Amino acid sequence: METPLTPYLPIALVLLIAGGMAVIIPFFTGLLGPKSVNPVKSSTFEGGNIVVGSTRQRFAVKFYVVALLFIVFDVEAVFLYPWAVNFKALGWFGYATMLVFASTLVVALIYIWKKGALSWES
Amino acid sequence: MNDFLPLIPAATLVVGAIVLMLSEVFLASANRGYMVIVATLTSVVAAVAAFWNAFEPARSVLQGYAVLDPFSSFMTCMVCVGTALSGLVASSFLKHRNAERGEFYALVLFAAAGMSLLALSNEFITIFINLEVLSVATYSLTAYLRRGGRPAEAGFKYFILGAFSASLLLYGAALLYGATGVTKLDELERALPLAAATQPALVYVGFGLVLAGFAFKVAAVPFHMWTPDVYEGAPTPVTALMSAGVKSAAFVSLVRVFLAMKGALPPEVPYLLFAALALVTMVAGNLLAMPQRNVKRMLAYSSIAHAGYLLLGVAALFAPAGASAKAGVLAVTPLLGGTAVAAGDVYKGLLFYLLGYTVTTVGAFGCVAAIERREDETRTNTWDLERFAGLAQRQPGWAVAMAAFMLSLAGVPPTAGFIGKLFVFSAAVDAGLIGLAVAGVLASVAGTYYYLRVVVYMFMRPSPDEATAPFRHWTMDVALVTSAVAVVALGLLPGPVAQWLSRAGMMFGHF
Repeated sequence: METPLTPYLPIALVLLIAGGMAVIIPFFTGLLGPKSVNPVKSSTFEGGNIVVGSTRQRFAVKFYVVALLFIVFDVEAVFLYPWAVNFKALGWFGYATMLVFASTLVVALIYIWKKGALSWES
Repeated sequence: MNDFLPLIPAATLVVGAIVLMLSEVFLASANRGYMVIVATLTSVVAAVAAFWNAFEPARSVLQGYAVLDPFSSFMTCMVCVGTALSGLVASSFLKHRNAERGEFYALVLFAAAGMSLLALSNEFITIFINLEVLSVATYSLTAYLRRGGRPAEAGFKYFILGAFSASLLLYGAALLYGATGVTKLDELERALPLAAATQPALVYVGFGLVLAGFAFKVAAVPFHMWTPDVYEGAPTPVTALMSAGVKSAAFVSLVRVFLAMKGALPPEVPYLLFAALALVTMVAGNLLAMPQRNVKRMLAYSSIAHAGYLLLGVAALFAPAGASAKAGVLAVTPLLGGTAVAAGDVYKGLLFYLLGYTVTTVGAFGCVAAIERREDETRTNTWDLERFAGLAQRQPGWAVAMAAFMLSLAGVPPTAGFIGKLFVFSAAVDAGLIGLAVAGVLASVAGTYYYLRVVVYMFMRPSPDEATAPFRHWTMDVALVTSAVAVVALGLLPGPVAQWLSRAGMMFGHF
């Protein structure tokens, strides 16, 4: 039976196999693998060093700001690539559209720059 | 070039937003008085441009991704008016808190741009993107005041539930796309009947998910749980914008989407669904508002009840042909394959209701913002009814305006709220929804109790002793006077506007 969903059958298969693997491998590892449980083995990292402090540290918010801004301009590149590939076919209309899009982002860049979101110190 | 006409209001709003954003960082002056003027002028120019567009013939524009019809142009006009009024309220509110910044107005204008584009979107991806544009702006506005935990809680709650409901909508749209292979609403309308016959499961689940997504946005029961907390926690001018703009824009999109899907389903399905939603929303909204002593929270529940009255109008749109005595005459309405019952009247009712509700709710939240003082922010009884006690002696102008808004929300003549309810309920009766209309009238009678209680407190209770003078700024007075005049004028002289609206309704999606 041909339905619009037929082309997605391979994806469903991959999902099934991937999900099955994720269940089967840990199950058999637990069943067949050797077990030796001792305090050293079950400590975090098992790297020989004594754990220092908690893992739940607070990060400065500027890391998040930079990460967010990176995503914004990274997504811009995602839009620029298909446009660049079809540059000739899209013609002046495509050029003008992309110009509006890019200039909006430039305005945003000017704003965050003046706002001081890019300065790491202070 | 004519294709770009519908984009002019939104483009104006975006340019205004960018100007305010850049002036915030480039003009390093403490005097930000010009900002509210720029924001208001931008909204007014956008409203005029939208009004201009309303006289254009209805047609599909931008390769079918949007429509330019009087319905959407009118909605845009209304959203811009609501934005201008909320901006004026916000100016006074923020000045009092020393929190007036260009970003606030920029976000308000970005949200308005999203709303005006949502009104004319005719394709699922476009609808989703514009819904996100307006939502992301309102999420950040909700948490704009950073002092105290309440705005942060409200913003977070709104963000989580809003994102969840948007994903429901998107998932529903994806399923409908899976069933038909199209996302444009006019193509969907043609392709969906066949898909519903061959793959009913996809179509029905998609329909349900899209309905749930929209019901979240318009705050219909049982998808209303976020509304009171978010409306209470958000800065009051932002609440005004949410209850006026976001709701109107979401309603327009809901009508557009479900009219396109209507042909694919048995006629009782959308009709019964909307009728049931309308009934529970009207009843639950009013019953939940009744015990509230907190006026801001009461207005939040009242906005749920008003979503119910609007859904009653939507249900009337979907009433099966033949349900009405008039159906034989009115089914000739050249819309929707002739199945609509007096569709023009229903649109007129919905639009007039939304118009009246916009000016009323902005005014009512404006009054709440006007008497709210910064010192009270951390207290729990900031918006208690007691705050309104004796307002008529302290601030007679504000008390009269607030009384007008309360009467309009209750649906008492001569106010815009009365005419709106009259149009919606009579359209529902014409469509054969007599039982539902009776329930609506009874629910709104119950509603008068909590609206009039505010009036009683303002006019008949003595002023508390420790009452101090509120912060006064001219922008607040301009906003309140404009809304109050509009509420009464629409109630006294609904004729010209109603006539124009029924023309807009007749042109809905008809090209």
